[in-house]
Order: sequence, then C-alpha cells, then structure tokens
Amino acid sequence: MIPPDTNTEEQTEMSTAGGPSEQAQDAPDLSALGVKEGAGHAIKVAGLHAYYGSQHAIKGIDISFPANEATAIIGPSGCGKSTMVRCINRMHEEIPGARAEGEVTLDDVNVYGEGVDVTTVRRMIGMVFQKPNPFPTMSIFDNVAAGLRLSGTKSDNLRERVHRALRAVGLWGEVKNRLGEPGTGLSGGQQQRLCIARTIAVEPEVILMDEPCSALDPIATLKVEELIDELKSRYTIVIVTHNMQQAARVADSTVFMLDGEVIEHAPTKDVFTNPRDERTERYVTGKFG
Amino acid sequence: MQETRHQFREDLKGLERQVLGGLDLVIQQLDRALEAVSYQDVELAAMVVADDDRIDGRYLEVHQGILSLLARQAPVAGDLRIVAALLHVIRCIERMGDQCVNIAKLVPLSGYESPKDKDILDSIERMGQLARSQLSQAKDSLGTRNVELAQDLARQDAEINRLNRAIFKRAVEIGDELDMREWGMFMILVARCLERIGDNTVDIAEQVVFVVTGLFREMADSPTASEAARSA
Repeated sequence: MIPPDTNTEEQTEMSTAGGPSEQAQDAPDLSALGVKEGAGHAIKVAGLHAYYGSQHAIKGIDISFPANEATAIIGPSGCGKSTMVRCINRMHEEIPGARAEGEVTLDDVNVYGEGVDVTTVRRMIGMVFQKPNPFPTMSIFDNVAAGLRLSGTKSDNLRERVHRALRAVGLWGEVKNRLGEPGTGLSGGQQQRLCIARTIAVEPEVILMDEPCSALDPIATLKVEELIDELKSRYTIVIVTHNMQQAARVADSTVFMLDGEVIEHAPTKDVFTNPRDERTERYVTGKFG
Repeated sequence: MQETRHQFREDLKGLERQVLGGLDLVIQQLDRALEAVSYQDVELAAMVVADDDRIDGRYLEVHQGILSLLARQAPVAGDLRIVAALLHVIRCIERMGDQCVNIAKLVPLSGYESPKDKDILDSIERMGQLARSQLSQAKDSLGTRNVELAQDLARQDAEINRLNRAIFKRAVEIGDELDMREWGMFMILVARCLERIGDNTVDIAEQVVFVVTGLFREMADSPTASEAARSA
C-alpha cells in the first residue's frame, strides 16, 4: 500500500522532473550529496572480542580501516567477518545472548563508550545488508526518506535530500517517474541501490556492507561495485564479501579472517598476488574453503 | 579444511608439464644444431629448421591454455605468479627454438670446405655445452622451484658471455683470407645465438625467483653477475 501523503507529494514533484537532459543523471552523482570528497572517517578496532552466548566468535582483533578507502573482509564461512562488522556499528548486541568487548573508535570516539547513543552510532555508521531490504509497505521515496524522518529532517529539506541520495546511487533516472510506487517493485539490483540510497541519505561517515551483491545478478553487481568506487571518495567503506574477485575489484586493502582472527591485512594487490601468510595463500587460491 | 579446485590444479600442472617439455624440445634442437655445426651436416641442419614447428606448436598450445585458464579460473597469489611465469617461459622457449634454427641455417652458408680455426671451434663447442647445461638447469630450477639453482644460472651465464666476446676478438684477428674471414663471421653469428640462449635461461631463472618469492629482480644486473663478468 502506498501512503497517500507521499503519493500526493511525488505527483507534484514528478510534474517538474523529467526531460531528455535527465538521462545523463543515470550515472551516480555524488556531488549532489553535499558531502565533500575526502570526508570519510577512520575506524579503529582494538582488542575486540565478540561472543554468541559462550561461543567466542571474535578473538581479540586489532585493525584500522583508513578513511576514504574501501576495505574488503574475506574468509571462509563462520570466520567472524559479519560479526566483526556488526560490532562496528553495535548491531551485534541486538542478537539475544550476544555481547562484545573491546574498543571501536570512529576517529576519537569510542562507539562503545559510556553515554554514547546507539542510534547516533548507527546513523554515523550505516549498513547495507546481503539481501536488499526495502520497507515493503513504503514507496520508493519513503524508503529513502525513512531514516531522514527518524532523524527529524524537516519536510522542505526531505525531498531534496531524497532526490540527492537517489542521484548519488545512479537510480534517479530509473525511478524519477515512479517515486510513489512500492520499493519492492524494483529489480533486485535497483532495490539494493535503493537501500544504499537510504543509507547515505542520512549522511553517515562510514558505510558497512555485508555481502551486498550476493543476491544480485552480474550486471547489478557491477553497478553496485562501480557505486562503491564512487562512494569511497566521500565515505569510508568496509565490505564483507565471499566473492574474492569482488574484493580484488573494489577494495584498496583486504583483510583475511580465519577462526575469529585477522590473519592478514594488506593492500589488495599484495593479498592477491603475493600474500605474506600461507593460510591467506591457501584460501585465496582455493586450496581450502 | 578440504582442498578444492581440483580441475584447475590439474590444468595448471598440465600447462607446467607442457612448458617443461618445451625446454626438453629446445635441448634436443640445440644438440642437433651444434652437431650440424661440428660436422657440417646440412641434412641435420634442415631437420632442425623443420622441427621448429613442434616448438612453435607447443608455444601456441600453452599460450591458448593459459588464456583459457585466466579467463575461466581467475588464478591469484602463487597460482597467478606461476601462470604469469609460464607465459613468460614459453615465450623464451619459442625464442630459443628460433635461435637453434638460426644456427642451423648458418650451416649450409658456412661452406663444406671452409677453413677453420681451432680456437673458435673449441670456444663454440664450450659455449654449446654451457648453453645446454644452463637449459637443463633452468628446467630443474623451474620444476623444483629451486631459487639457488636459478640464481646460479646468472653466474654460469657470465662464462658464455666471456666466450662470446673471445670469439669475436679471435674472428677479427683470424687473418686476411676472405674465406677465413667469412667463416669467422658465421661463427660470430653462431656464438651470438648461443649467447642469446644463455640470456633466455637467465630470464627463466628470474621467473623462478619471482614464482617463489613474489619479487622480480633482473639477474643480469645483479652484483653477482656483474662481478663474474668483470673477473672474466
């Protein structure tokens, strides 16, 4: 069901949108976001341990994610990749029985510090999930606006920021004439870019991506990968992926994890041509999986 | 953890076997080319020229196999280094095959009854032995990933280079007789071919070091090689 107020709003908007020049806006346009190049922030993880009940999933990780770089995390299933990124924006603690110890700092602020508001942490450290998860009852417009509304953005700014976010992910040309239609009516690749638009609409400082392309076809995957390349000029990106070629394509540096530990963190070129650790070599060459 | 990508591993091993076999083909061609020079055997020289097709065919097979492997299997890390090295080594093999052909083609040109110089012939024979030994060692170092054997090739190659210069010097001094000077020129060309084969074995050695260490370093410019060249 499309909320009537949004529909009305977008009907008005649609009458002013369109025209041949809009075709050029299919390409991601990050300049519209108002977020400056190089504005990403570094994340530091120190002595991080994570548990699911008594299961010790992350075993004392120390790692830095440099600002404005894409860092890929690879490793076999169950090695703790997703748990680690979910600790970065405190999503891990949402799971019953799960807990984390250690420090995660965004610049100099410990996100696990006393008095730190979890909602603020998650606004500053956005997350894109494996399966595109647009809100099923919401329109395309409202899906992007949802986070902004929660953060109290005024309606006159709202429309502008939604449009900017859709332009930034290269979706504007594809959806501008149907902003009032349900987000779930889009293709899988479009839905994932819609979710990325929702994430960046609230202007986070870091974007975490947990296997963002695993449910997408190759063309949609390439579009998301190109988008990641664009986004990193503005944001710090951490991407968990099972697809090693994807890590090789998009990441500046790559982290190899095994059994809850970081085995190697090096420039992606080195990890895929001359890894230092034999376990990394064995994993990336498919000698175990 | 269980080992995976069995087919890929088999394909990669198969390509390496083809490359190592290619080095054997060059050794055979070199042996026959040198024999043809020693005995002025024009028929044998013609066989060397004809059989170069086998080496060219091997080059094409390996080249195609590597392209297919890259496209289908996207090798990385140590596997990628091996694939890159095999592509380089098979090119060296093709070039060394061509050098054997060049030697063989000089046999009928140098004449049946041409005057000969013992110093030059001895040096050519020695260069041939060294080139053969280097080829064999290059094959062993690649097959066993032996960096020490590979590095030793740069040292050995200095001796081939020394003999090449000595042959040139001797050919200049060989006398005023036209036939003798012409024969000397042909021997300079034979020596040049053998020197190039030596260089190609050093190229292969560099690839072996790259496969094992991930680092590429030109051995021809290495201090060991330079010192050896100076002392020669």
